[in-house]
Amino acid sequence: MTQLGKRTTTAPSGYQLLQDMAAMLRQGEAPAAIFNDPEIFAIERERVFARSWVYLAHESEIPEPGDYVLRYIVDDPFIVVRDADGEIRALHNHCRHRGMQVCRSEAGNASNFRCPYHGWTYKNDGRLVGVPVQKQAYGDRLDKDALGLIRIPRLDAYNGLIFGCLDEEAVALDEWLGDIRWYLDLFTLRSPAGLEVIGAPQRWVVDVDWKIAGENFIGDSYHTLMTHRSMVELGQAPRDPKYAMYGEQVRIPGKGHGAMLIGAPPGTNLPPFWGYPEDAIERAKISLPSREQFDVAYQTRIMLGSVFPNLSIHNPIRRPDHHYEGNVPMMTLRVWNPLGPGRIEIFSWFAVERDMSEEFKKLSSWSYLRSFGISGTFEQDDAEIWTHIARNAGTFTGRVQKVNYQMGVDVEPDPDWVGPGVAMPVNFTDANLLGFYERWLELMLG
Amino acid sequence: MTATDAGAAVAPETIAEITQVLYEEAELLDEGRLREWLDMVTDDITYQVPVRIHKEQTGASRVTGVQANSFHLDENRTSLLMRVERIETGFAWAEEPPSRIRHMVSNVRVRSRADGDLDVRSYVMIYRSRWDRPHYDIMTAERRDVFRSVEGAWKLARRLVVLDNTTVPMLNLSFLF
Repeated sequence: MTQLGKRTTTAPSGYQLLQDMAAMLRQGEAPAAIFNDPEIFAIERERVFARSWVYLAHESEIPEPGDYVLRYIVDDPFIVVRDADGEIRALHNHCRHRGMQVCRSEAGNASNFRCPYHGWTYKNDGRLVGVPVQKQAYGDRLDKDALGLIRIPRLDAYNGLIFGCLDEEAVALDEWLGDIRWYLDLFTLRSPAGLEVIGAPQRWVVDVDWKIAGENFIGDSYHTLMTHRSMVELGQAPRDPKYAMYGEQVRIPGKGHGAMLIGAPPGTNLPPFWGYPEDAIERAKISLPSREQFDVAYQTRIMLGSVFPNLSIHNPIRRPDHHYEGNVPMMTLRVWNPLGPGRIEIFSWFAVERDMSEEFKKLSSWSYLRSFGISGTFEQDDAEIWTHIARNAGTFTGRVQKVNYQMGVDVEPDPDWVGPGVAMPVNFTDANLLGFYERWLELMLG
Repeated sequence: MTATDAGAAVAPETIAEITQVLYEEAELLDEGRLREWLDMVTDDITYQVPVRIHKEQTGASRVTGVQANSFHLDENRTSLLMRVERIETGFAWAEEPPSRIRHMVSNVRVRSRADGDLDVRSYVMIYRSRWDRPHYDIMTAERRDVFRSVEGAWKLARRLVVLDNTTVPMLNLSFLF
């Protein structure tokens, strides 16, 4: 039995912890304290979240001029809005007069945002256009052109996925994404009509670190059999352990992104291409940029992808309920937005190809709602477990423990994989998690 | 069925009867007798908890932001059965060990519908406590139900839960409203 080590006065401070972590990662370990620590969180918001391209919204959420949604990077609020000319902007929700939030609904359509405090009014492109009794109040002193809502320093989109970045100096979004784009295409370019995010996201608060939540989607299929055993028992996930082990785990070196592509394990009878109907598969053949991408998609039954730091996409074949005959895939987009040490808000969206039938969209939304999201029969149990990892990580004794990422250390990359990145031919490996933490540490120490 | 579009009034005995049904339902939910709860719902039940967002008033109602196309729960009888059977496996970690849950039901209003069913509105406050800490979670909502008389028993045919939360203050929704 392992004894608790002799403890030297106090646990290491944030920066010391990070220094120690570099050597630990090479051994496939990490300090548990990174999951619930005020200093680590303070460094994260400055060095990770103020420097990274963070997912804000999907273009289909704001299709018309004036459409907006309110979104966050940590606690910074941004109005993601399509202006009168159709251009998408992300405006800091902060009146230039006294700092009040000028947009006070979570979503809607507006030509202007008027501050309820003194009435300064901004066009939906951010320009300050109205200052009550300006002449009497300010004479000629006020430079309205210089007092528009602050635009997020960087804003760009990839295949409809809108990302913002607080760092003026950041690399371009395309470079940030790098080779994960090949895999994002598999989610977003299956249909010439594109992807549609339907409705408002579920939002809920969980006492967990954003990295713990993200781990599940970046590279942890190993938890499926135990965490989700209830659904294995009900036949909603295969009982065969090979299922979780099977597939390719792909990481994009140096970027922190990752994907998992799981086909049909030998002996199982799951239809190709996530179980989509034939006509949808035909459309994908035309729509996906390359033959290789179509071939990979054709073999895929479950796919997960994560863009560093905190966007995840989960796209499994599934059934709306345990008695449903047949399969209806679903897709969910996630943001794990940190609120503080060991605390996040989850944003969970449902997405589907725009040109699928209304019937398919309904069934697919059921496959989603009943397995994932706040009430999902799978995800309920993830949240329950995550909170207690974070709780332990914040304790006196828990914070000096290490967590283990040594699974599959001897696995060699798959030389025959057709896609970019480094692919492991088996999913029982922590390769993607180590890739994520290497990138995270690089930013944290940078 | 609101104060402005109310259906026909019903007899006080019916209100008392339905109120009793709601109390008994709460007992089944709070004691985890979910199979018995399933016996209280019709085969064609629609059970929905829409996402709600913070939203200015744009129409006649000040009950704003109840989304028509996004949900926290969107269930039929089979999916409700799946949730019940999941708990019964003993591996539903979100509710094993079980939360301590209490449904406080009040403000019951009953109106008859043209099709003979009853429109029933009630308020519910749900208290939930987990683990060994004094912390608890509370959510409140209005339940807009349709009850139908099936072989002499009132059964739940429709439930629409209008939450008083936008962002949900709980780690999951592993219980029924």
